[in-house]
Amino acid sequence: MRPRRPFDPWWMLAPTAILLLVFFFWPLLSAVYRSLFAWDLLTPPRWVGLDNYRVLLSSGEIWHAFWTTLVFSIVVVIGSMALGLGLALVLNRRGAFFGFVRSAIFSAYVISWVSVALLFLWVLDADAGVLTHVLRAIGLPTANWLGDPHVALYTLAGVTIWKITGYAMVLFVAGMQDIPPSLYEAASLDGAGRWQRFQNVTWPMLRPTAAFVGTTSLILTFQVFDVVRVMTQGGPVRSTTVFVYAIYEQIFENLRVGRASAEVVLFFVLLLGLTLLQLWAWRRQEPT
Amino acid sequence: MTRSSRRQFLKAGAAAVGTAALGCNTTNAPPGRKLASLWFSYGGRNRRVLEQLVHRFNHSQSDHWIHAVYQGDYFEALAKLRTAIAAKAGPAFSHVVGEVITYLAGADVLEKLDDYPGARGLDVIPALGQDGSWIGGDQRPLVALPFNRSTPIAYLNGDLFDKAGLAPPTTWQELREAARALSVRSGGRTTRYGFGCPIDWWFWTALVGQAGGQVVEPDGRVSLGGPAGVEALELWQHMVSQDHSMKPPPGRDYNAWEATNQDYLAGRTAMIWTSTAFLKYLEDNAPFPVVAAPLPARQRHAVPTGGTFWVIVKSAPAEQKQTAWAFLRWVLEPAQVITWATHTGYMPVTHAAVKRLDAEGYYQRHPNDHVAYEQLRVAMPWPWSAELFRIQREIVQPRLESAVLSHKNATELLAQARAQAKRSLQ
Repeated sequence: MRPRRPFDPWWMLAPTAILLLVFFFWPLLSAVYRSLFAWDLLTPPRWVGLDNYRVLLSSGEIWHAFWTTLVFSIVVVIGSMALGLGLALVLNRRGAFFGFVRSAIFSAYVISWVSVALLFLWVLDADAGVLTHVLRAIGLPTANWLGDPHVALYTLAGVTIWKITGYAMVLFVAGMQDIPPSLYEAASLDGAGRWQRFQNVTWPMLRPTAAFVGTTSLILTFQVFDVVRVMTQGGPVRSTTVFVYAIYEQIFENLRVGRASAEVVLFFVLLLGLTLLQLWAWRRQEPT
Repeated sequence: MTRSSRRQFLKAGAAAVGTAALGCNTTNAPPGRKLASLWFSYGGRNRRVLEQLVHRFNHSQSDHWIHAVYQGDYFEALAKLRTAIAAKAGPAFSHVVGEVITYLAGADVLEKLDDYPGARGLDVIPALGQDGSWIGGDQRPLVALPFNRSTPIAYLNGDLFDKAGLAPPTTWQELREAARALSVRSGGRTTRYGFGCPIDWWFWTALVGQAGGQVVEPDGRVSLGGPAGVEALELWQHMVSQDHSMKPPPGRDYNAWEATNQDYLAGRTAMIWTSTAFLKYLEDNAPFPVVAAPLPARQRHAVPTGGTFWVIVKSAPAEQKQTAWAFLRWVLEPAQVITWATHTGYMPVTHAAVKRLDAEGYYQRHPNDHVAYEQLRVAMPWPWSAELFRIQREIVQPRLESAVLSHKNATELLAQARAQAKRSLQ
């Protein structure tokens, strides 16, 4: 279809295109350019070519941050989706009580990250925290939730799951309410039990919702910062230094703008690679 | 709306937007006063004391007006200061941690103060001023004046030490013995630790000095103390993993420091090492007698100094710099130095203030306040190195945590750190 006035589509696209240009492409190009310099904002930038990339790749710093972020994301995405789906299955019922419980669970999603992090600092104190007291009272082992390098990342993942599960649950509930009841009736007439109805009706119909929840949760977890900044500051022993926090450390604590820019570029490339991989996997699953 | 009133409205709107865009750099001073903006980092009690001092200054004369703005902890404030200087929107003056002064001086963003009236004649205690805080600090242009200066000291729970019949430890051996004696274990876990200390470069530097080493040699080589550095790190490792008598707090930087304070106040640790800056806070909030003591010795007694220095931003307008200077001269007078020191726990930074406190019998009434000052006799100056803070943050600090929390070999870790520091300085 040809527009009557050929420039109309461009005018309509312009607001979005300008926003993308100013807030996405320009900063990205600027980061690429800055990554070729050693710069601390105060002294004149010094050309170092690809040295920032060489240091980041050879020191293993970038791989450590990427691996930490990936582990965090996998735990959070799987955890929040599984828990969200489970809660949706239990709470997808009519009635004020179920509505209240759904709202209560979702409310965690709208609380600020800083408030959640401060609340859990208190809950997770290794000696005086509520969780430690409860576990001890029922005779279960405790851990140094935020002070043990082998535990801290999973603790932060747990806090994040607590916060975003309500989001997954609400979307799954919405997805379930879109499934025509006739499909369940037909399945029941065919003698399908609860598990078979879930396996053959609910889950296939929820797959687009699951893909959406998975993608948005993945994006959110790759951008995690606040909870790390407040609860662990990347420690102990850099065990919670996720990608965005590593960039923050470089620019604001180590005062290395060039190296932080190189991290931004590498982060972009790695995320782009992951996204392409995800798209390829989805397209393979689509019926031809 | 008539044309002229519409114009007035637009003008007022533009002025409001402009004012908002300039942000905290603009505030109204009373008519006839010269305004200067001060960015500061003190929180809680110390913030209140500083704000009272600023209030006093503003009402003690009629020429100047200081607008004090809180900017987060030391490193948050530094990040903002650096960005603001680059954007030419910085304050007239601020206060900055010692480790970063050398870097900022190297970047030539600090005002040289030598030619300001009375600058070199200030009655500053050398170990706390630029002259004695850095090796060769007296050979360089004056860019930093001391205000909140500290050393690490030991805080003991007076009740627990009395019950156990223990005296403040004066050697590492006594420290380990006291920490073991005061620790309580039950059901395979420690319910009270004898000792607590942030796993932080500042305290490790103190240990290195006590073991007879220094982090940077006089020729500028980053030795990290050599064998003394390893011995320092192994002391922590032994106390945490073998004796189970030391609690490494969770979190990093000042979060870990705060956790250390809370453990001490709650009686979860019997003795901590932290800054003298927390003296009044701990005395006010502890439900037991707080006893301050100097750090123990290994080969010798040694402590680094810490805290921040006043700096004037070179790019600030001349008039603002004059106002900042007027405030700095005023705040270094004995009355203000005494107010600051006796209300916070930081050390008085001028001879006159110390003399007056001594003459008034303050130290007899408050012996805890004298501990940090006494330790100045063994204070170690820092090297004048623009890279020092990066060696601290990027190279040493993660390895200290790795040694203590992940039980890695101290010798190997410090050898790696030395090699990385050498590459970084090339």
